[in-house]
Amino acid sequence: MTRSSIGAYTRGVQLTFVLTWTLIAASVQADNLLYHNGVGRVYDPYVQPLERELELRTYYQTDDDSLESDILRQRVGFGAAINERVFAELYLTGLKLPGSAMLLESYELESKIQLTEQGEYAADWGLLLELERERSESIAEFATTLLMSRQWGNWVGTLNLGVEYEFGSNIRNEFDTFMSAQWRLRYRESLEPGLEFYADEFTRGIGPVLTGLVRGAENQKWHWEAGLVYPLNHITPDYTYRVLLEYEF
Amino acid sequence: MTISTHISSSIRLGARLLTGVVLYCMTMGAQAQTPVFEIEIREHLFYPSEFKIPAGQKVKLIIYNRDATPEEFESYELNREKVIVGNTQGIVFIGPLKPGEYPFFGEFNPKTAQGKVIVE
Repeated sequence: MTRSSIGAYTRGVQLTFVLTWTLIAASVQADNLLYHNGVGRVYDPYVQPLERELELRTYYQTDDDSLESDILRQRVGFGAAINERVFAELYLTGLKLPGSAMLLESYELESKIQLTEQGEYAADWGLLLELERERSESIAEFATTLLMSRQWGNWVGTLNLGVEYEFGSNIRNEFDTFMSAQWRLRYRESLEPGLEFYADEFTRGIGPVLTGLVRGAENQKWHWEAGLVYPLNHITPDYTYRVLLEYEF
Repeated sequence: MTISTHISSSIRLGARLLTGVVLYCMTMGAQAQTPVFEIEIREHLFYPSEFKIPAGQKVKLIIYNRDATPEEFESYELNREKVIVGNTQGIVFIGPLKPGEYPFFGEFNPKTAQGKVIVE
């Protein structure tokens, strides 16, 4: 097999894989899960040695169904690079329902692995491993996500394809797939507009996002993202607002 | 879709993923002709601070950090950032690029560690 035919076959396999995953993520339906919202963030596949960060994410959703409206979810995390290829982060997620106080919903340990050097191949590759445990119920999930990113001129496309196994005595043990994607214009460092898409067992959403980076003293950086996700099915909330702030030091 | 069907679908997808990654790695031989440029970081300065690379071609930079402290090769124009721990080396791939000048700097010492890539 020649190099060009291997390359063509590889691209064909990858395209088939991505399309299949997308179709599955977009076709699997199940019973609704109260307060579930699959909008998260789109991960790039890069790790920097010595990097440490504090992260705050806020998600607020509204819906014409009062049970799914006015729900605030916040997630705080601390992460650090373990070596030049692996980054680990611990999260706590809080959930606030209407008329209630914010309660701790879950804990999560996450590890990102950079598989290739940026720009080395046609796309950059990484892997994300997540282990999440609900605080008040016997529900846990382990997820593995393939991270891909590619640059076309001033545009960057990033795709996350994941499979997760949910288990515990308060949930049906099962595998699920999910995906998210982002198409972003590298307009300038402090402001990059883009479009995001999210799909999982329940969620189908799409919407605009703004991201940017602000430099502080020495090697301190503030990375921010703000997005609005509109539903593509009747389960996804009408509006999901998301804000992310990362302080790298 | 039943649970068993879903599980077997996931396993098949995983196998395709592995196949794709393995075959992708097989194409690594295509990188063998990538030109290599070497840069040194000494006393928080880049040597050379300016260098020329060909337009339309991917280039591999090997950056040796001769200082004891870390440095970060950073460039928004090149869309690259790479932390290089003290007394180690890092690899950065850039390009293919259009002709022009692309500045870079060392984020840990931005006032002194500056340079640019000239693409022609």
